[in-house]
Amino acid sequence: MGERRRALGTAGGALGLGTMAAALGTCCGAPWAVGLLGVSGAVALARLAPLQPFLLAGSIILLAAVFWLAYRRPKACADDSCNVANRRGLRWIAWIAAVLVAALAVVALVPAIAAWS
Amino acid sequence: MRTFVTGLVLALTLIGIAGCSERSEGRPAPASPASYTMLDDGGQQLRLAFNRSMGSVRLVLLVDPTCAVCLRGLADVNADLLATTADPRLQTFIVFEPVIGGKASDIAPAASLLRNAHLHLFWNAGGGFGHLYATAVDLRRHGKLVNAWDVWTIYGPGATWGDAAPPRPALLMHQLPTLDNPGYRYLDGKVFAQAARAMLAKLPARSAAPRSGSAAHE
Repeated sequence: MGERRRALGTAGGALGLGTMAAALGTCCGAPWAVGLLGVSGAVALARLAPLQPFLLAGSIILLAAVFWLAYRRPKACADDSCNVANRRGLRWIAWIAAVLVAALAVVALVPAIAAWS
Repeated sequence: MRTFVTGLVLALTLIGIAGCSERSEGRPAPASPASYTMLDDGGQQLRLAFNRSMGSVRLVLLVDPTCAVCLRGLADVNADLLATTADPRLQTFIVFEPVIGGKASDIAPAASLLRNAHLHLFWNAGGGFGHLYATAVDLRRHGKLVNAWDVWTIYGPGATWGDAAPPRPALLMHQLPTLDNPGYRYLDGKVFAQAARAMLAKLPARSAAPRSGSAAHE
């Protein structure tokens, strides 16, 4: 698997987990869950709420892996012989994923922070 | 991309498992039109029904019909208590409030989570009953009064609702962020059910079976 695909896949995983965490974070403060999933689905989603911190943690770990892929120096580059442009693409992926995961984390956590403050 | 798809499948599987893990008593019936009583912000209709059921153990539950966590609470209370008894000495009053956008049409699906013959459903379209109830039970966070919703209460057989505010319950549980009153604990369906059963056990058998008032689902 190419590095680009691996980075895209890992970033996608981070976004998937972040999306799930955001869904759990907003499931009580807005009526979307019942409309989208029905009563049983909303109850099931609410039962998963305790998993939210773990999903966020998993998302951050995957994001860290994307950064590692983007910023590590591959063996082939040890003598500065690799294509720098390819690394730039990976770094774009990493930073875009970071911004999106951060946005999802805000969505996930703001309702809880607002409720507790 | 494969990781993303795997994550998505995992998430959907988790939702499925959580849904399937509901006990059989907790499984919702197909949504059917539920009859409910319109409740004014002063709670007069509830007051009448509540007082008519004097002599029985009464549950008063305040929820938004579209709040997922409230619905989880309803499913828990149903599985741990309501679905396990047909005792007429236990009367349940559920006040649906439009706190996060719930509508009257959401009541039937929410009520389908419950299996009990002694339910009384109310719809407080004005949304003011939560404030009245919060004042009555002194529901505060950081010193400020908060709206009463996602609140679960039990009243003993002797509780009477006078002309003014609702009486204080024997037990109040909730699913809100921490409240000032340490006696108001986070809802645990089993603890809630246990408290209701303990009160029922003290009642004489089948005495004071209340007349059903504005009840729905009877």
